[in-house]
Amino acid sequence: MDRTWQITLMYFFIHLGLIFFLYPGDVISSTNDGHWLPVIIGFMVHLAAITVYMKGLSFIGRRDIISLYLEAGKGWPLLLLLPVTVYFLLIIIITLRYCAEMMTIVFLSNTPLWAIMLLFLLIAAFIAIKGIGTLLRTGVLTGMLCLPVILLFTAASFQNVDWRYIFPLADGFAFFTDSDFYQSFFAFAGGFLFLGFLQPYFTYRKKNIFIAALVLLPFFLFSVYIPVLTFGQATASTFHFPFIAALDSINLSWLMFDRITIFFFLCLISFTMLFLTMVLWSTIRVISRCIPVIKPSYLTFALPVLIFIACMAIPNWEDVKLLFEWNSYLRFYVVITIPLSTYFFGKRLQRKVDCHAAD
Amino acid sequence: MRRIRRTAGSLLCICLLLLNTGCWDNRDINHRSLPLVMGIAYHENLYQIVLQIPEPLESGISLKILTQTGKTINQAVDKISARMESSVDLLHLKVILVEKEYAQLGLSDSITTFMRSREISPKALVVICDEKLDTFFEHVKVSMAPKGTTLYDSFEKNAGWNPQMALTRIWQVYRSIHSYTRDVAIPVYKSGKSGTIDYTGSAIIKNGRMVGQITPEETLLFNSVNGLGTQGKIEVMNNASVLILSNSTRHRSRLVHNIPYLDIELTLKVSIVETKGTPTTKLIKDELQEVLLQRFEHLFDKILASKADILGVGQYFRNKLPRSELSHWRTDYLPRMKVKLKVNPVIQNEGNLKLS
Repeated sequence: MDRTWQITLMYFFIHLGLIFFLYPGDVISSTNDGHWLPVIIGFMVHLAAITVYMKGLSFIGRRDIISLYLEAGKGWPLLLLLPVTVYFLLIIIITLRYCAEMMTIVFLSNTPLWAIMLLFLLIAAFIAIKGIGTLLRTGVLTGMLCLPVILLFTAASFQNVDWRYIFPLADGFAFFTDSDFYQSFFAFAGGFLFLGFLQPYFTYRKKNIFIAALVLLPFFLFSVYIPVLTFGQATASTFHFPFIAALDSINLSWLMFDRITIFFFLCLISFTMLFLTMVLWSTIRVISRCIPVIKPSYLTFALPVLIFIACMAIPNWEDVKLLFEWNSYLRFYVVITIPLSTYFFGKRLQRKVDCHAAD
Repeated sequence: MRRIRRTAGSLLCICLLLLNTGCWDNRDINHRSLPLVMGIAYHENLYQIVLQIPEPLESGISLKILTQTGKTINQAVDKISARMESSVDLLHLKVILVEKEYAQLGLSDSITTFMRSREISPKALVVICDEKLDTFFEHVKVSMAPKGTTLYDSFEKNAGWNPQMALTRIWQVYRSIHSYTRDVAIPVYKSGKSGTIDYTGSAIIKNGRMVGQITPEETLLFNSVNGLGTQGKIEVMNNASVLILSNSTRHRSRLVHNIPYLDIELTLKVSIVETKGTPTTKLIKDELQEVLLQRFEHLFDKILASKADILGVGQYFRNKLPRSELSHWRTDYLPRMKVKLKVNPVIQNEGNLKLS
């Protein structure tokens, strides 16, 4: 079944959800000026990764990457799928914990963390049980509701911009030595891997993903530059969430709501929940395919419980950051190996198919 | 089996619906006090906090003025909250009124507190009070009409604000604390006669500390250069009074031997509102130019003396200086700065009557 549009939109929404939270803060603390350089470099890496990945996926026909690796021979699944699973589990834990913490910081100051996390997990697990079709439909629906809000407030956030803060334009490549730069890859890395898990269920035109990626580029730039242009680098670097702070400074007297940040924030949270669900679904698929003894339905109950316990075990914000930092090594491993291995195995597979066809 | 699953599913959905309200330890609106104005003073290492809380009565509204001291702002607010029947909720705070003495000491700590807390909106206005807070609020309570938005209306842009007044919000003061090339001006008020509050000029804030004061007329010019001055009126010598319809500025910056030069071209489109005798257009234009240049000179002298870049002229040198140099812009470059203002008055119309 061809679901090109739904999948492209899903890719787009998931990345929007990832862009506006952590990403601006990481880029702003990674460099003092010339923020476009780290953004463009990260984006290039992302583009390269999806190019290779898409090319590889087009070789393997209607298979998904799990069966591709399982067919590749012994050792490979362990080398490739185990890190992916660990990576997925870690980003679920981090994202969940992170969103819940943000919720308490931004507006639900009285609600305990466990309640927020439980709510998020329940919804994610519920959609994951229902399967990928439901997930895509939910994604499109959420997007239709949230995208107008996000676009409107992104446009409005230019209200307090002072363009002269854009200077100095470049400062060299000192950010390569900064760990924050590597952490900013969170927004570029985790979001696209799900594209390899969809194939047996749905097919899609790979070209549209590129178009969606190009549409994302302005949002990457906006999310960093709006706080920089509103506050200036020296001030923006003092915020945990610079974009949210910039949004707080918008004054729209014609709007009946005083604090538009909450609306923007909730829309982003729903996108992040889509991301969470997608990753949860992918994890369940990987585990249940590799270890067929475990039924997927048991996993959908066991995994959220495990994740919830892990989230509760993280005592504070500093530890979330630490986990995030550890995760970044795994992130680079996954982002580099998965597209490349898909490409090479895919090519080998295609050659085999060609040989058979020639016989 | 299927029916059981479906029932379980719908039950789960209903349970989720309950969670959907997002309420936890919820306090109803009638158990909250929502102050609109907060006054801050700092005496002998203690903060004094004054909250102005509108209380709905059966007919109309009465103003409640509560004051407490504390080692921190939050302690003082909590003390007020503990003494009231309802809890104080700063979510709708719109104005922060700072006593002048405290502003001169430096506002960095409290502005940082406001930015850190999610409760107080960074859009709240910052205003300086040129007398003791107690007397000021006493005056407000006694002589101003009690409304939900008393005081706030005098300062907000779409209410009682005038182009001669500076308009500065918490996040802008916060930016001034950290930014290398941007400072702000905060309006200064004091209680006046016959139930008004009087605007006496604007404070020059450098890195969150009040270092000088400019007059209302200079503030109008300051607003014009920053693009906020429309609808302001300027009296031209003894001959006429004009209304600013629109203003635009162009800047050209140079850096020669580490001395910054800036040419500002200010184009004012004005309309004539009042004349004395029969002045010609040319005379009005010339005098307008002269008045503005003179005012600008005074304004800039004050800026140089206080080394506070309220006009944000440093912004125009951001593309000429590396970041390491920009960080001491205020001390090394601003005092040596040469500014040339060129005023381009355009009399867009003359009102209903012909000008002789």
